[in-house]
Amino acid sequence: MLKDYLPRDIYNSIIKNFSFNDITEIRMRVNEKIIIVVKNKKFYLKDDNGAYIKANNLLIDNFITKASENSIYAFNDNIVNGFITLPKGIRVGLCGSIVTDGDKIVTIKNFQAVNIRIPHFIKNCCLPAYDFMVKDNEIMNTLIISPPGSGKTTFIRDFVFQLYEHNNSKNVLIADERNEICSANSGEPAVNLGGFCDIYTNCSKKFAFKNGIRSMRPDVIVTDEIDLERDLDSIVEAINSGVNVVATIHAKNLNQLKKKPSFDKILDEKFFSRFIVLSSDEGPGTLNNIYDEKLNCIYCR
Amino acid sequence: MKWMLIIILIFVIMLIAYALSEQYKDKFDFYNNLKLFLNQFKINLSFRQEKITEFLEKTDCKKQFKIFIDEYKNYLNCGELNLDKIKVLDDADKSELKDIVLNIGKHDTKSEINQLESFLLIIDNKLNQAKEDKNKMCPMIIKLSLLFAIGLAIILI
Repeated sequence: MLKDYLPRDIYNSIIKNFSFNDITEIRMRVNEKIIIVVKNKKFYLKDDNGAYIKANNLLIDNFITKASENSIYAFNDNIVNGFITLPKGIRVGLCGSIVTDGDKIVTIKNFQAVNIRIPHFIKNCCLPAYDFMVKDNEIMNTLIISPPGSGKTTFIRDFVFQLYEHNNSKNVLIADERNEICSANSGEPAVNLGGFCDIYTNCSKKFAFKNGIRSMRPDVIVTDEIDLERDLDSIVEAINSGVNVVATIHAKNLNQLKKKPSFDKILDEKFFSRFIVLSSDEGPGTLNNIYDEKLNCIYCR
Repeated sequence: MKWMLIIILIFVIMLIAYALSEQYKDKFDFYNNLKLFLNQFKINLSFRQEKITEFLEKTDCKKQFKIFIDEYKNYLNCGELNLDKIKVLDDADKSELKDIVLNIGKHDTKSEINQLESFLLIIDNKLNQAKEDKNKMCPMIIKLSLLFAIGLAIILI
C-alpha cells in the first residue's frame, strides 16, 4: 500500500527490515532519522549499508503530494485539520507552518513532520467487553476511553462488526469525521463492518448526528474521538431522541477524564451507561476496566 | 494507362493536402478539448471535488487529446511528463501545456479555480489562433494542391 507513496529505497528498507504487519507508525521529520514504531518500540530506519536514513523537505513534500493524489484541493479540508487519510485506513498526521486568512486556517505549508499510522484490524478484540455493552440486544450508551494509539478505533470497528456477527440488526450510523473507522474510498468501506451500517465520512459530528437522525433513522450512532465541549450537544440530542451512542475519547484513565470540562454533566445526567478504559499495557486494545453509569467498576483486568 | 497514372497522381496529391489540412483541424480540436477539459475540471472543483485521477478516468477523449490524457495519467503514476507524442503542438505550446499540468492540483479549491481561469485565458487565445489557422490554411492547402495537381496533369498530358 505505502509502496505508491514512499520512495522506492525507503519502502524497500522498511520491507527488508520489518514485518509490515507489525508496524504501527512511520515517523518522518525534516532532517531527522526516519523512525519505525513496531509494537510500541521505536527503531531507526537504515539503508543497505547500515547508515541511518534521514527525511528531508523534498521527501515529505513528495509524500504529501502523492498521498493527496496530486489533488490538494480534494484533501485541503483534512489538511487544515492536520491529517490525510489514505486508502486502507492509513492515517497520516501532518505538522508544519499554518497559513491563515484572518481567523480561518487556509492550509499547512512547509511540512515539518509526517506520522503515518498503520491500522491493524483485530477481529474479536471487543468481545471481552461486548456483553457489557449489549444487553438483550439493546446497545448501551458507551464511552471508550484510552490515550492515543491504544486501539480505540480498532475496538469500535470490531464492535460494529460484532453487532452484525451477533445478528443484532440495529441500524448503525457511523459518524466517521476523519474516515478512520471505515477507511472508505469512493464510498466503499475498506473494512468489513457488516451489513447494517450507514456511513458519513469527512463531515463534522454535528452534521452527521443531526442529519443522520433525521434521514437514516439509526438505532445507534458510533463515532470516534469526541470533544466533550464541542460534541456534547449533538450526543445529548441523539440520546434524547432515543438513539444510542457509542463513542471514543482521549484520556489515559477515568481520573483524567473527570478533569475534562463537561464530564460532570455527563455523570450527573447519566448520558453514558458504560465507560470502557483501554490501554496499551499488553498491546493496543488491552481492556483495563469497565465502569457503569455510577462509575462502579464492573470489570477489572 | 497514362490517364490512370494521372488520376492516381491527383488522388495522391489531394490525399497529402488533406493530411496537411487535418493537422490544423487536429490542433484546433486539441485546444477545443483542452478548454472543455479545463472547464469541466473547474466545475468539478466547485462541486464534486473529485481527485484528478478520478476525473481523468471519466474524461472521454480521442485522437491527440487522448495521447495527452494518457500522458497525464502516466505522469500521475510515475512522475514523468512526456508530451513529445503530441504531434500537433510545437515546442513552445508543449512547454506551456507542461506548466499547466504541473501546476494543477497543488492548491486549495479557491486558488485552483483562480489558476484555472488564468489557464483558460491562455487556452482561449491558443484556440482562437488555431481556429484562424484552420479557417485560413485548410481551404488554402486544398485549393493550392488542386491547382498543383491540375497543373501537373496538364504538363503530363
